[in-house]
Amino acid sequence: MVRVSAIEPETWFLPRRRLDELVQALRQGGRDVIGPTVRDGAIMLEPIETASALPSGWGVDNSPGVARLVRRDDERVFDQPPGPTSWKRWTFPPRVTQMAWNGAGESDGDRQPQSATAAPAPMAFLGARACEIAALAIQDRILAGGPVVDPDYVARRRDNLIVAVECAVAGGTCFCTSMGTGPELGGGHDLGLSELDDGFVVRVGSDAGRRIVDGLGLMAATDDQQQTAEDSVAGVRAAMGEPLPMEGVPERLVAAAESPRWAEIAERCLHCTNCTLVCPTCFCTSVSQRSDLDGGSATTERSWESCFTLDFARVAGGNFRTRPEDRYRQWLTHKFGTWWTQFGSSGCVGCGRCIAWCPVGIDVRVETQAVAATAPAPSIARPIVVPASFPAPAPPVTVVGKPARELAWAQALVVDSRRETPDVVTLTLNTDDALLLAGRPGQFVMAALPAVAAPPISVSRFHPDGLQLTIRAAGAATAQICALERGATISLRGPLGRGWPVELAEGRDVMIITGGIGLAPLRPLIDELLARRDRIARIHLAYGARTPADRLYKDELDRLAASGVIDVAQTVDRAGPEWLGRVGVVTQVIDRVLCSCDRTIAFVCGPERMMQATVDVLHERGIPNERIYVTLERHMDCGVGLCGHCQLGPYFVCKDGPVFSLAELGPMFEIEGI
Amino acid sequence: MGLDANLAAAWLTHELEPHTRIALAELGRLVSLRPTEVLMREGDPSDALAIVLEGRIGLRLRVPERGQVTILTVEPGDVVGWSAIVPPYRATSTAVALTDSELAVFEGEKLREALAADDKLAAQLYPVLLQAVARRLEGTRLQLLDLFSQRWVEPW
Repeated sequence: MVRVSAIEPETWFLPRRRLDELVQALRQGGRDVIGPTVRDGAIMLEPIETASALPSGWGVDNSPGVARLVRRDDERVFDQPPGPTSWKRWTFPPRVTQMAWNGAGESDGDRQPQSATAAPAPMAFLGARACEIAALAIQDRILAGGPVVDPDYVARRRDNLIVAVECAVAGGTCFCTSMGTGPELGGGHDLGLSELDDGFVVRVGSDAGRRIVDGLGLMAATDDQQQTAEDSVAGVRAAMGEPLPMEGVPERLVAAAESPRWAEIAERCLHCTNCTLVCPTCFCTSVSQRSDLDGGSATTERSWESCFTLDFARVAGGNFRTRPEDRYRQWLTHKFGTWWTQFGSSGCVGCGRCIAWCPVGIDVRVETQAVAATAPAPSIARPIVVPASFPAPAPPVTVVGKPARELAWAQALVVDSRRETPDVVTLTLNTDDALLLAGRPGQFVMAALPAVAAPPISVSRFHPDGLQLTIRAAGAATAQICALERGATISLRGPLGRGWPVELAEGRDVMIITGGIGLAPLRPLIDELLARRDRIARIHLAYGARTPADRLYKDELDRLAASGVIDVAQTVDRAGPEWLGRVGVVTQVIDRVLCSCDRTIAFVCGPERMMQATVDVLHERGIPNERIYVTLERHMDCGVGLCGHCQLGPYFVCKDGPVFSLAELGPMFEIEGI
Repeated sequence: MGLDANLAAAWLTHELEPHTRIALAELGRLVSLRPTEVLMREGDPSDALAIVLEGRIGLRLRVPERGQVTILTVEPGDVVGWSAIVPPYRATSTAVALTDSELAVFEGEKLREALAADDKLAAQLYPVLLQAVARRLEGTRLQLLDLFSQRWVEPW
């Protein structure tokens, strides 16, 4: 027997009968070993204790809409395409507790949220394919690559041992060669196995892998064994055929936002969410709350979510993707297109799970090509930068991210509550949190009370001791926040997002056009403009409300109007005879107003349809997209770009916005259901 | 300020050719209204088209059990009483001054006769009036959407 040493060649042979020794070596130090096993009629990734749990002699017949176990007359354990579970099941579990509120105090103020980051046992992943290692690298980039990292993911991903397997069979839905991720192992593993009939060629990928090989005392692999392994993976590459022509597809998918093909796919799609659940890179989540009956403790849970669900893009007051085709378009365009802009790689690794596990067999290999073929020449606001060939993402890195400040909660004390309208309240909050105090106009906070979802709320004023929030009671959480009385406390996370570019207003005329509760996020901007009043030319404020009683900050606006420092025009959609002010839409307040439009900058906030009508008027008046800024509302659960809900093309509205220039948004601003 | 100068300053009529504007000015007269004074009543024969020069005119419809509802206010530069040149020449709303207001008022029948007789006046005035009515229609459609209403009750 040849004794292995660190300076010997890096390729070894593990006889099949000794496979369990590898499993036991991986388990040393209390490590959980996760590997493929047969359960529920499929190959699942589960904790295993011995090699006997591996799917010896099982294969899988994969094709669109089909994944069927088949018995083979051999003892090979890794000859299957990827099954319905992926490693994210373990690094990014379907459900985790995020935050706990403990202590049954007299008031909510006695209960403050504590983060509940997991401290799991270290894990070894046995049987990860090249495409799956690429998927781990993608999730690393999203969840641990910063600027804000997911502490739960970091805790689970730390110190993983990866024993990869180079594929010896190609499933009927595999297309890793098209996505540049496989089938050959390209790094990111501690050990790499190639399965032969009588054992495994073992390659060392890291010091940790070397230590395991050293401990096993393996013989070097023979040239024949190595050649058989190479031939085997070459056969897999050949079996997948010519790679798909993916060049230009990301840009064309985005450009094809209004292709009729989306509706055709949606006719077939059941919106069952299977594709997103089996996808090894999909990362969208939602949070939900649970509390015990006496309200003494509550927990916040994060669970996998899918962009195919109707609620995914729902907000108080509307839903941004009501049609099935909107939701399918979001998924495919994101996965293959805008993912490049967000994360520098494709979101697809070519594992084929979504094809096999789609109940109706929708095949993304076909649909990406078909939709892209319908695209006009790409003309998108934020170009997607894609290398000429589709490279695999950089291999996973050691995950060491620290919890970000944006995820920490600060306490604020309610010092005043003022009712603005029958369903809108302005809370004045004091806090000593330095970051909250340093917020900028247009930013928002997540506002949390125990046992209800934490909604995103725009800051409606910053003051030296804290801030104001103007909230409409639109649901359970906002109703509870509106009901807070003086002396109560609330937890805030933020300030979040990118606010208004106040400095660009200097030396210009400013038009502020807003409607309804949209005035709230503009109020800090007005404060800031007034603070710089001598450096700004004219300021027009056009404000529309449903009725006179629905106007916010009435006294304040009247005082501003009377002072003459800015031109204030208020209008309502309907009124009784007692109202002597304007009636009509806000767009018709600005279409004839005198302005030096060649030097005007516009800031707009309101319902999206109102903003679109406003932008049409601003265009007619010659104000270019570069000088029109809007703030967008989207469903936001995390506020830091991790939960995925608020995506708009390449943007996460929560962190890239919510304020955008029209030039940044381009055609997306007016395309339905984006 | 004479009526012609007023029309030259109003957005509705400022692009009319000078001789057309003068011809129009000769047909009209300046009218001042105090708050609550009514220019025309819904359903009555519409015998005047007016351009608001100063102030604010409310257009109101009567809704059973709700009384008078203001559905639009007309601001300086804009037109009131376009129904005076569109059959059946009946006012589609009640026009009431909400503030001290000044208007250029054109008697309906006289204006109709002038438009029939003077092709140049007709060729220039009809497009701007159509533009004003189209703008009003566009605004009304947006109002119909009731964008600021809160019809949804959501989990948050």
